[in-house]
Amino acid sequence: MIDTLASGQLLFAALALGATYALVALGLNLVYGTMRLLNVAHGDLVMLGGYITYWAFALGGVSPLVSLLGTAVAAALLGVLAYRLLFRAMLGARGTGPRVEANSLLLFFGLSIVVQNLAALIFSPTPRGYEYLSDVLHFGNVALTGNRLAALLVAAALCLAVVLFLRWHTMGLAMRALMEHREAAAVVGVDIDRIQLASFAVGFGTAAVAGALVSMTEQVSPFMGFPFTVAAFVVIVMGGLGRLEGGMAAAFALGLLETYGVALTSTNWRSILLYGTFVALLLARPQGLFGRPAVMR
Amino acid sequence: MSIRRSIFNTVIASAFALALSLDTSLAQGAKPVRIGFSIAKTGIFASAAPSQLNAYELWREQVNARGGLEIGKEKRPVEFVQYDDQSNPGQAAKIYEKLITQDKVDLLLAPWGTPTHIAVAPVLERLKFPMVGNTAASSKLRELKPGYIWFTTAAIPDRIGKELAAMLKENGVKSVALLTNVLPFSKEIKGFLEPALKSAAIAISVNEEYPPDVKDMTALLTKVKQANPDAVLALSYPSDSPLYVRQAKELGIGAKFQFVLIGPTIDFFPKLLGSAANGIVTVGEWSPARNARAKAFYDTYVAKFKEKPDYLDSSLSFMSCEILEQAVKTAGLDRSKLRTAIAQGRFETINGAVKFKGVENTVTKTGFLQIQDGEVQQVWPASVSTAKYRPKTSW
Repeated sequence: MIDTLASGQLLFAALALGATYALVALGLNLVYGTMRLLNVAHGDLVMLGGYITYWAFALGGVSPLVSLLGTAVAAALLGVLAYRLLFRAMLGARGTGPRVEANSLLLFFGLSIVVQNLAALIFSPTPRGYEYLSDVLHFGNVALTGNRLAALLVAAALCLAVVLFLRWHTMGLAMRALMEHREAAAVVGVDIDRIQLASFAVGFGTAAVAGALVSMTEQVSPFMGFPFTVAAFVVIVMGGLGRLEGGMAAAFALGLLETYGVALTSTNWRSILLYGTFVALLLARPQGLFGRPAVMR
Repeated sequence: MSIRRSIFNTVIASAFALALSLDTSLAQGAKPVRIGFSIAKTGIFASAAPSQLNAYELWREQVNARGGLEIGKEKRPVEFVQYDDQSNPGQAAKIYEKLITQDKVDLLLAPWGTPTHIAVAPVLERLKFPMVGNTAASSKLRELKPGYIWFTTAAIPDRIGKELAAMLKENGVKSVALLTNVLPFSKEIKGFLEPALKSAAIAISVNEEYPPDVKDMTALLTKVKQANPDAVLALSYPSDSPLYVRQAKELGIGAKFQFVLIGPTIDFFPKLLGSAANGIVTVGEWSPARNARAKAFYDTYVAKFKEKPDYLDSSLSFMSCEILEQAVKTAGLDRSKLRTAIAQGRFETINGAVKFKGVENTVTKTGFLQIQDGEVQQVWPASVSTAKYRPKTSW
């Protein structure tokens, strides 16, 4: 047992899981953080990313790591469209408040059903898969398949890039300002419309990239998105809604909990451990691990 | 705007014209036979149901190409009446009631999945409408009152448990790791497999269950690797079967007998896993090498849908169509006569002869398939096998 826990194998598994969770949750958190929109169709963007990658590979023989950029751009454009056509008016009319959260939840829920069923019509509900980088690599006593390693590296790099962007880039700083205090950001001259548009683009794009990475190891199907939506919500609520770094930390914490928790108990305890911890944490810290208690404004 | 509108109008008009022309072409021939069913187009079974629907569509196309369904001396084209049951068995029961009482269909085909068949059975019983079931497998099916529903499958958990233990014993397996997804079909098999393994003197060195939403099996498979059993029996579902294979390959699990319950015969499985899928044993009682009908079914299916049929669900679904076709040929559309014809007849299918006793197909043997060099072969039982079982020596 000690051998198992101390081996790098479990650590790699935990990191690989955590990185996927972090990347999927990132976009959801960004869209929520800047606009208070609850995108329950987020997992469906993961699905779309998976399909774009699959078709690029199956029809054109394009390596998933190459098509990644195109996938991200396509999803970002979809984000721009969704923002322009569906959400700008809603946000403009009523600003941010509990009503926007509730309305966005319903609107995204409807979108999710439409997207899933359109995908089923166009791609057929049959699951699809392709083999890519499936050779096993050995590092000391740790064995890992190339596709999982690639997924881990790309996801981690992208998370890091977004964090740096938010820290150092003017637009990133403006996004943070919007997350911290919307009205104050407007007062100091942040172009709210432009920042919201960018958040949609980045949020949708990163979700699709997560889908591209997932498709290297798992089959894609029109209804694969929902579990990712749930996982992303757990991550961002645990990390503190709208706290990007908090969400990433929570994602890796969940990855560790899922692999080591299961190793110490039994695989059957997986969901109980994850959701039990989630509920317990919310009872103890309703604002999440890294969130601040709500203040009256 | 006006140009757009006129394009729109043209499209609508031509759609109507097309619909009318289709309508008249049907009206010129004999009156179509309307066959109703519900299908899981959305919801949790949606990714599994195409293997069934494709088989139905292929059958309809072939029957219509032959001039229609033979009813006595007459041939009538087949027309489907189908509704999405959203993978909801309760909804399916309502749909079958509607199909029978309001749509007044002539015949019925089955919905997808065990719970759906069980939900529909009382409706058939009450409205006295016979239906040949297909994609359902549970020992509980035998508890259904026989008379209006029959099942083409031989993959019933008690029979699987017994046969798998026998196959393991014959291949010198002394110890197994048993990994079970906690869903009904796999749990039921586990319940029958454990005593069968015990009486075959095969030790269960690891016996673990896992939830359907499992995302990582590293810890579980590390235990399996340490126990080093002769066989791993993964009682898994399509969503987690690839996860098992991927991570077993990653950790280099050396068991020569690798059994994976549901997934290996679905088209995406070998595409996703490549050589790692080679040598995997799975449940299944049909292969294209069975007979000439089976080969023809396989070839036309692949040509039409550009993917392989599911060895279990597609073949079972097609068999139920063949049985219905042969029963209607002799009994016509009279439900009482049709019921007797199905219950007492002997049918030729893509999986050889079929005859029912109660609700169960007692001719087809419960068996196992193995992926060998990318081809799926029947390796158990010997009487119907198309190739010999080969130990899995590499991932």
